Amino acid sequence: MVIPTPSIATRLGALELEYPTLMGSGCYGSGEEYAPFADLSMIGAIVLKSVTRLPRLGNATPRLVHTPAGMLNAIGLQNPGIEWYLARELHKYASRPCKIVGSVAGFSIDDYAYICERLAARDEISAVELNVSCPNVASEGETFGCDPGLTAKVVRAARATTDKPLIVKLSPNVTDITAVAREAEAAGADALAVINTVRGMAIDVETWRPRLGNITGGLSGPAIRPIAVLAVYEVAQAVKIPIVGQGGIENLSDALEFFLAGAAAISIGTANFTDPRIPERIASELRAYLASRNLTSLDEIVGKANVEFATPHQYEGDEG
Amino acid sequence: MATLDSHARVHATTVIERRELATGVALVTLDAPELSAATRAGQYLMAIPPSAQSAATALAIYEAEGNLASILFFITGKRTRELSELRAGDRLDVVGPLGNGFDCSSDARDVAIVAGGVGIASVLLCARSLCRRGARVRLFYGARTRELLVDAQRFADAGCELVLTTDDGTFGERGYVTAALARARKPDEIYACGPSPMLRAVARIAGEFGVRAQLALEETFGCGVGGCWGCVVPLIGSSAQAPSFPPAEFGGSDVVYARICKEGPVFWADELRW
Repeated sequence: MVIPTPSIATRLGALELEYPTLMGSGCYGSGEEYAPFADLSMIGAIVLKSVTRLPRLGNATPRLVHTPAGMLNAIGLQNPGIEWYLARELHKYASRPCKIVGSVAGFSIDDYAYICERLAARDEISAVELNVSCPNVASEGETFGCDPGLTAKVVRAARATTDKPLIVKLSPNVTDITAVAREAEAAGADALAVINTVRGMAIDVETWRPRLGNITGGLSGPAIRPIAVLAVYEVAQAVKIPIVGQGGIENLSDALEFFLAGAAAISIGTANFTDPRIPERIASELRAYLASRNLTSLDEIVGKANVEFATPHQYEGDEG
Repeated sequence: MATLDSHARVHATTVIERRELATGVALVTLDAPELSAATRAGQYLMAIPPSAQSAATALAIYEAEGNLASILFFITGKRTRELSELRAGDRLDVVGPLGNGFDCSSDARDVAIVAGGVGIASVLLCARSLCRRGARVRLFYGARTRELLVDAQRFADAGCELVLTTDDGTFGERGYVTAALARARKPDEIYACGPSPMLRAVARIAGEFGVRAQLALEETFGCGVGGCWGCVVPLIGSSAQAPSFPPAEFGGSDVVYARICKEGPVFWADELRW
């Protein structure tokens, strides 16, 4: 009997991915930077660094600080702006052996609509991520993603300009992430990326100064993984569109947590800074895992976390 | 600068030897023939932590000779501690060589190399290259104290004249290495690696001498390969090393942030806007 190789392919709306792994925006350049050390044909998609309407120099340095089980960053959306990006950058991405997802950041609803419209005609990108949750820009970068109503307006405006699949990246820095998720879905999002970085700060106790030029930053890495798994789990209960789970994924076990919590795909960011071979390793091990459980496709584990707990143990004297 | 990092690969290496050159200073020698062959002066590698418990660590490639490549580093935290505990026979995966190193191709006859502290790790290959082509090379090497003035003999063996300084006066001249440089005979060109205040002083002194200086910068790296824009330094937009960014008439700026890991780590002092 020939046992078929399990499929790890997945879909985010109309975006079909041979591998369920995305490389997080701002963590993987355009892929060119990693091509010498990583097999780009063994990843699903690269999410490009966010582009804004006008060029941005980005934040003052230091922009990074390593913290326990993670990293704080405050890059500040350094990018050449949409015009330069379309004229000088985007054509270089056409030859990648994986899908390319554009990422859009803005300071007004019109910014998002304008950039999405400019990207709509370009074949190099297969989908667009709406970054409504950057915690590192001085003026309201994260405001959109923290307000369900504003998120809906951004998504609706973007939706009107493009047929490309829209992935809305949600902020964890909110009271109820499911409220934002529902609004994004209702406004026409094809998928949700859960989560962006968690706001944080580190202070140098020798100099008494913040360790980031921007004072505050976004925390990533294993430190935020349980926060992200919970967010994926809760959002998965609230919406029907697929979820890209992200936050500290470093190995197969981490990836499985996200799939079981309800993610249809995962995104790998900071772990590439540990070892650029991690994404392809997770893909191979995921296939082997499914085979070992006699499963034929990734779908069979998505959202299958068993939360029907048995009655908690009762202890003598525990009268509740 | 001189070289591109297109030869960078993941190399599975084996530790040949680990020595503690001083308290908190480790020299780890690797069997890494392909890495060694591809390495140019001033380049670095990213050491993938054997525990996979933290981000990879950017370290200057100290020596690259035959089958061997070595890293010399100060133990400053968890990541360098883990690397310092490697033993002969252990495996270590590294990504490299990375970055644009020193341009040692000028025909300068009289060269000054300035190294502060662990900056010494970035300049040995440069010193050897310059000595080999017949330049007169003075190494100005400063450390906090005598014990941290490590491996100076290797530079003497390479043919450098040594000017050694310690902050506390326990060896050589007392004071900063840049003070010794400022008092010295004017060189034709300067190469330097060390802490940021030292490099700024070198840049100023080079300006006073009217000579060009190449500075190897240090910063906290994220990815180390140009993917995250975490380690940047402001550079004049007209620099050949400046990354693609719109000119002012397209809403850009004539100062841009360049990635220390990708466009650097070596920059011309007169092109930095820090």
